[in-house]
Amino acid sequence: MSKADSTLPAERRLSLLVTVLAFALPVVFVLVPLAIFLGYSFFSVDQGTIVYSLSLGNYVRFFTDPVFLPVFWNTIVLCVSVAIICILLAYPAAYFLTTLKGRWRYALLMLLLVPLLMSYVIKIYAIRSILGLNGFLNKALVTLGILQEPSTLFVFNMNAILLTLTLLLIPFAILPIFLSLERIPQVLLRASDDLGASGLQTFLRITLPLSLPGVASAASFVFVLAIGDFLTPQMVGGISGFTFGRILYSQFGTAYNWPFGAALSVALAVVVIAAILIGERFGRNRGISV
Amino acid sequence: MNQNTDLLTLRSVSKSYGTVPVLHDIDLSIRDGEFLTVLGPSGSGKTTVLRLIGGLEPLTSGEIRLDGQDISRMPINRRPFNTVFQDYALFPHLTVSGNVGYGLSVRHIQRKEIARRVAEALDLVQLGRFADRFPAQLSGGQRQRVALARALICQPRLILLDEPLAALDLELRRQMQVFLKSIQREIKTTFLFVTHDQEEAIGMADRICVMEAGHIRQLGTPHDLYYRPNCEFAARFFGENNLVAGKLGPVQGELRSIETTLGRLVCSISDQPHLKAATDGASAYAAFRPEALHLADAKDTDNHFSGTISDMAFAGSSTVATIMAGADNAAQRLRLRVPSRVDGSALKSGETVSLSFAPHEGHLVLA
Repeated sequence: MSKADSTLPAERRLSLLVTVLAFALPVVFVLVPLAIFLGYSFFSVDQGTIVYSLSLGNYVRFFTDPVFLPVFWNTIVLCVSVAIICILLAYPAAYFLTTLKGRWRYALLMLLLVPLLMSYVIKIYAIRSILGLNGFLNKALVTLGILQEPSTLFVFNMNAILLTLTLLLIPFAILPIFLSLERIPQVLLRASDDLGASGLQTFLRITLPLSLPGVASAASFVFVLAIGDFLTPQMVGGISGFTFGRILYSQFGTAYNWPFGAALSVALAVVVIAAILIGERFGRNRGISV
Repeated sequence: MNQNTDLLTLRSVSKSYGTVPVLHDIDLSIRDGEFLTVLGPSGSGKTTVLRLIGGLEPLTSGEIRLDGQDISRMPINRRPFNTVFQDYALFPHLTVSGNVGYGLSVRHIQRKEIARRVAEALDLVQLGRFADRFPAQLSGGQRQRVALARALICQPRLILLDEPLAALDLELRRQMQVFLKSIQREIKTTFLFVTHDQEEAIGMADRICVMEAGHIRQLGTPHDLYYRPNCEFAARFFGENNLVAGKLGPVQGELRSIETTLGRLVCSISDQPHLKAATDGASAYAAFRPEALHLADAKDTDNHFSGTISDMAFAGSSTVATIMAGADNAAQRLRLRVPSRVDGSALKSGETVSLSFAPHEGHLVLA
């Protein structure tokens, strides 16, 4: 940042700086790394050193090796499930919030969002201790007589990942749904009542369709966050809970095959970008100026 | 439809928000098939009346009767009334025909029947070509007409209109006034129209209910309200008026005199028994319209006074003179309206003129 001897007035200089920063930051911190990744995905590894010659080998391996595509697909299914469950749980919660008046509404909303302030790792540890074979959930189920002995249904497997991701990501679903519900003008609901609709009809025909943009962005948020997560599967997934994120992680860590990891990342990025675009498109389509 | 039977009756209806009262003991009868306008300044409680009738808010006390039956507790979606909201409240995700057909489709009426009636309603409001548009693609006037079609397709007993023209520009508002009135005549449904615009009220209503501060001040035809306001508020609120304070004098048949700073004025009291019954010496106002005031000539035997023209204002078809009349220490500001002429008015600012109005064109208002 040049301080003196500029012919531009201070204000102009500041606004120029802001403009440059606004463009430079995403370029340097987002676009350039993505481009480097894309570049790396065409390299290969020989005896632990990266060979800087272009080839499509990594992609061929991804599509032909019997390991990767099924895991990739299962991970997408898992994350779609997480998104759906999050929406199903978050929608009633968000709807309930909008029925509250004034201060209570935001106090409760804050409470629901407080978990976002806590360390991700600590939350996973906490959930892990709840889900374990001797965890709170199993003990409670046994004590209540619902189960005879601790169940392994949700211990270190895909189900554990599903439950944990859902719990961790639900605040990200509540917020956009709440905002879209809150933005619906009350007079539209009164107009619907006035035209003879029952409460259920008003909800199904007015509230629900008008809140779909929020649902779409909530779903894409949750999906994107879930699919990019490798820590949760790593910590609660055990051996059977193998996700694409973990494969990626192992390529960069244990396997030390950055080019192949980069190729897998590109595949993941394609899915993430598609999810964001779908969410965005869907959101806009329904949002015809309220 | 018989304009002499009451469709809806409000009996000592009161409404408070918390401890703030907004309506005090309102009694109001709406006749079947009439165009009733509720007129008042903002904060007068006029919109609250509409919201209570529509079922958008519960009453604090009193009752609302439809055909003699108490409907005060009937939920909004069961009342046979429909509302045209101030900002239209069209459903943004539904097309014009989706909006208009909404009231029928929630009643599980057959698709074919809905389509037929939607087409009919859209024809009525001249929007047939716009059936597949979304509200965001319509102009203000078109949205207004969609809102109207959406309300009347349900064949309600009463259509409630909450300042529906407030958001439109002047020219469009004039067109919509004529349009609304003609639709009302065509479908013969009772309209309850809320507005703060007295010109709008005069132009459209069969009867006008004037409200102020949570009370009904007067209920009558536009003609009644204009020529026989029964309270100071109505007399001042409704069009331009000259009000001169004084004490009532004796009754002389259909006329009564009033002693004012302009001398003794004689005004009509025909069809107004409460003015005949008022005691001598009671405080009152003589009220006469600017267009009733004229330069005095030999034919005028009553209501003479002189004044000085302080200002002349050209207002197109007419010119309004502001006149200070009466003794200097108690000068009374009056308005005189005369037709404009191309070669300018004969009246000049600063001139002293002799003025008069015919007794039958003046009336009395109790203070």
